Order: sequence, then C-alpha cells, then structure tokens
Amino acid sequence: MMNYIWTFMLLLGIVFAAISGTLGEFSDGLMKSCEEGISFMLGLAGIMAVWSGFMNIAQKTGLIEKISQMAAPFMRLLFSGKIKKETEATILMSFAANLFGAGNSSTVFALRSMELLDRENRHGERASNEMCMFLAVNMSMVQLIPITVIKIRTDAGAAEPGNIILPSLLAGIFSMVVSVTVCKWQERRRGGR
Amino acid sequence: MTFLSGLSLVFIPLLFSFVLIYALIKKAPIYDLFIEGAKEGLQTAVEILPFILAIFIGIEGLVSSGAMEWLEHLLAPLFLRLGIPEELISLVLLRPVSGSGSLVLVEEILESAGADSFAGRAASVMAGSCETVFYVLAVYFGVTGVKKIRHSLAAGLAGYVAGVAASVWLCRIL
Repeated sequence: MMNYIWTFMLLLGIVFAAISGTLGEFSDGLMKSCEEGISFMLGLAGIMAVWSGFMNIAQKTGLIEKISQMAAPFMRLLFSGKIKKETEATILMSFAANLFGAGNSSTVFALRSMELLDRENRHGERASNEMCMFLAVNMSMVQLIPITVIKIRTDAGAAEPGNIILPSLLAGIFSMVVSVTVCKWQERRRGGR
Repeated sequence: MTFLSGLSLVFIPLLFSFVLIYALIKKAPIYDLFIEGAKEGLQTAVEILPFILAIFIGIEGLVSSGAMEWLEHLLAPLFLRLGIPEELISLVLLRPVSGSGSLVLVEEILESAGADSFAGRAASVMAGSCETVFYVLAVYFGVTGVKKIRHSLAAGLAGYVAGVAASVWLCRIL
C-alpha cells in the first residue's frame, strides 16, 4: 500500500510543480527535507540510545517483569492474544511516555515494541492482531498535558493558554475509544484470517 | 492541573532514578547494561532513517510544489459543510503525516486568527489530541517485516476523524 501512496505523493508533487512552474522550489524542497530528515533522526537517535540503555538496565534487573505483572489486567483488555512479558513492558512504557507528553521517548518504546511483536509474529508479512491493536492505541493516545501546544499558545498571547487541556483530553479519549473499537471489531470480523 | 503538569515534568527524572536505585539494590553492572542497551537503540535509529527520509521528502514534495494548497481548495467546500473552519483545513490534512509540520501550522493559525478565537482553540485542541497516523504507520511498521498492515489503517483513521470532529465540536460548545 505504501508503494502506491508514496509514489502518488511524489508524482502529484512533480506534476503540480511542472504545471505551476515551481519545479525549482520542488527540488530545493526535497534537498532541504533530506537534511531535515537526517537532523530529526540525529535528535531522535540520542534519546533513543539513552532510553534503550535505561530499558536494558530495567530489563536485566527484572524490574520490567514486575511492572508488566502489575499491568497485566489492563493489557488483557486490549490484547486478546498472548504476548511476552518483555513486549508487554515496552508497550506499557510507550503508552506511559505518550501520556506524559514525552513524545520522542514514546517513539523509542513503540519501535522496540514493534520489533518484539514482529519477532513474536515470526517476522511474518501479515500484521498480527497485537500489532494492529498496539498501533490503534498509539495513534490515538491521549496526552495528559499537551505541553508543546500550551507553550505555543502562551507565545501567541492566549488569555488562558491552558484552557485547551480539558477539551484535548476529552477529544483524545473519544478518538481512542473509536480507534480501539474499530480495531476490536475488525479483529473479530476477520480474526481467523 | 498543577499536579498533572508537575507529573509531566518529573516523569523522566523519576523513572530514571527508580530504575537506577532498583539496579543498585540488585547489584547489577549498571554502566555496562546502559552501554549495551544504548548500542541497540542507535541501531534502531539507523534502521528507521530510510522511512523517516521517505516521509519527509514525500510531504515536502506535496507542500513545496503547491499540490497541498490545491488539495485544500478542492476539499474546502466539504470541510465547511462539516463545520470545520477554513483555517483548519491544512492542519487537518497535514497532521496525520507530520507532527513538527503541523505544529508550525498551529503557530500560524494562532497568529492569524488569534489564540482565543474559535479556529485558534480548535487548532490547539486538535494538535493536543490528534496523532500523526500515517507517520506512525510508516515508521513503526518499518522496523518489522510486515507488508500487509490489515485493519491498523482503518482503526487509526477512524480515531483521527473522531478526534478532529470532537475537537471542533468541543470548542464550539465549551
């Protein structure tokens, strides 16, 4: 699917640039975004290394196993299939980091979770139910305090920068409920295949 | 609220100290374990780089060529009918693919429409509650061997649409 979406994005851009005479801007934009991609990744790489380091400590000392035992009831609500303790823990950490607004850290845990889920899926070409559910939650996870947005609002001179916290939370919860429901429903409908 | 924002601030330091103290009690080789894990983390970072680059140039191609603007004009009547203010259209379209790009848009909306205007608040709530669906799918599946992503896209998109609708609606009634 990405084959088509990505190709379509680029071709649409090129056709448009050709029609509206912005081919120069198009090429400059591409070069610029390559640089941005690399610097974005460099920023992420540092955080990733540090978190993975701490996670490794927590895992080898048995802390992770303890945490995932406590969260087991909650996890069983979402995931009907069996997942390993280690995977459970990284999934949990990714949710927690998301909840507390540590976006980049959450990415680190999410990627690790996906790697582990992939291993449990025996590197299959078909996404497992657990992967879909994990992503469904991840793509709609609420954030207790959207710090970045509040900062932007403060800079823009909002009378009360924080007055979006409650609506954001409510909208986030609604989005999450819909996302998880659709996922569960689809899982059941096509579960066997 | 102060409790919650305090919690966000201390989340990382608290977690770090918790892990470290627990490891001290267990007498684990803390430093070696950290290095070992960090090495793995860096490998993952390198692994996702191609996916991040692909997304970045895909979006930039749409934005810098003007195709994005055309798409906004095309969809404007539909969005207005749904009660989504005009200022938000580009944000609704860009948010699923780019987190940082959409935050820049929020800044622009707040500046032009005012932070306390309906559009300004709705944009803020959207950025605070709607996630980067396509970006997540592209990058996160990137570290797996998955080719068929099944219902993950449907679930993500449904959640996104619900989030946008709820953001606009909540800002209208609150």
